[in-house]
Amino acid sequence: MKKFMPVEELARDERFNQITQADRMADGRNALIADSEKSRRSNRLTPARPDASEAARALMHGIFVGEIQALEGAGRTCWDFTTGEEAPFELKLDMARQAWDEARHVEISLKLSDWMGSEIGQYAENTVLFQAACSNDPVLRLAGVNRALEGLAIDVFTTMKEFGEIAGDPYLEFCEDWMLADEVTHVKMGSDWLRKITENDPERRKKALEFQGIVDKMFSYGGSRSDSEESSFAIARRFRELAGFSEDENDHIADLGMQALNERKAQLREKQAAAAN
Amino acid sequence: MTLTVTPDTYNFVAFDTAYTARIAEHMATQLGLDDIDILVAINENSSLTRIEVEVTDSLMTIAPHSGALEDTRRPRQQSELNTTITMARGMLRGRDRLRGGFADAPADTELSLPQAAIWDTYIMGRIAHMDIEVNKQAWVYNFRNRHGFSDAVDAVFEKVWNSSHSTWAELSALSANTVSVTA
Repeated sequence: MKKFMPVEELARDERFNQITQADRMADGRNALIADSEKSRRSNRLTPARPDASEAARALMHGIFVGEIQALEGAGRTCWDFTTGEEAPFELKLDMARQAWDEARHVEISLKLSDWMGSEIGQYAENTVLFQAACSNDPVLRLAGVNRALEGLAIDVFTTMKEFGEIAGDPYLEFCEDWMLADEVTHVKMGSDWLRKITENDPERRKKALEFQGIVDKMFSYGGSRSDSEESSFAIARRFRELAGFSEDENDHIADLGMQALNERKAQLREKQAAAAN
Repeated sequence: MTLTVTPDTYNFVAFDTAYTARIAEHMATQLGLDDIDILVAINENSSLTRIEVEVTDSLMTIAPHSGALEDTRRPRQQSELNTTITMARGMLRGRDRLRGGFADAPADTELSLPQAAIWDTYIMGRIAHMDIEVNKQAWVYNFRNRHGFSDAVDAVFEKVWNSSHSTWAELSALSANTVSVTA
């Protein structure tokens, strides 16, 4: 079986249409500025939004494909690295356990999608999550997948759990709460292994944390995640702390989110001004 | 009756004005709206799925944001089905206000979320009964989000979904009653 599979080779049937983060960012239309400035004080994904049902459905589909990619990422880590020499057996065991969790999450997300009224492949699949899982260094992969990707999952699941709670949707609230608990464990595994493997290699640890910063900014999706009310979801600080993120790390992720939001807003203004001329 | 679609060309999306006009004309005829001018003004700057509707005695203005006509599988491409549904939604809402017993309904921006949801259910039910492909479960979910998650709420949804003649007075009372029973 092939090692280090590139993102272009992910197996999908005809129901799926994949796009890249570059495709997404090339869209010059505005879902941020016009809405938050003109007709709505917040872009947070809560039931109070007029488009709440549609937005929650689209996010649930994003979670569904994200879980598939997380499953593929954890599974690849078990296979891509030589046991003992490149990755300890116990690390691979943790990744196998994570792959099992992600497979269960895929099924749960699929059932929630049915419940909310969407179909497999109804929305484009952004492959950016798997891209973070393509590093040749297992430590960078832990930083990208277990800390950045799974950290994002903590933020998203917290938003969806609260959405279900406020709307009175018992299934959504219950399922998201259980998946959230798994994600906290996955992040903690990443944090623990990152510390352990780089214990005597500060340079490698620094490189891994830098890589995590890059991935965290990518996963802010142009400001979809930040402390600003203009973002769809917030940094879930409490659950992140439980997963092993320090306050400084959470502040750093929040700063990256604000940077991404401001850059996206500037980019959109530029594109819309160019179109108006 | 004249039907106009704007803009003629697009900067951010790959939409086709003539194609949109053909779909809109067909829908207007199907809904008996051949005695009023219709302006379809697409807001391509926004990717939201919102549809704004304004009606006077002589002009119906339907202003969908581009997300309402988009193929969600292929961002920025136009979807025939979503264009059809959006035209039907806008025109039915306009027709309701004009001559369907909704003259006393508040402006769209003044509708509460449950009121907007029950009216949308009434509209989407009629679209589904026109044999246009609609994901009913999505509208069940929207109705539940606004009225509560219970069998009693689902029964109200079914009643509204299958109704072909309702008035604003009936729908708003039904919505208020459902919300108060659930609370």
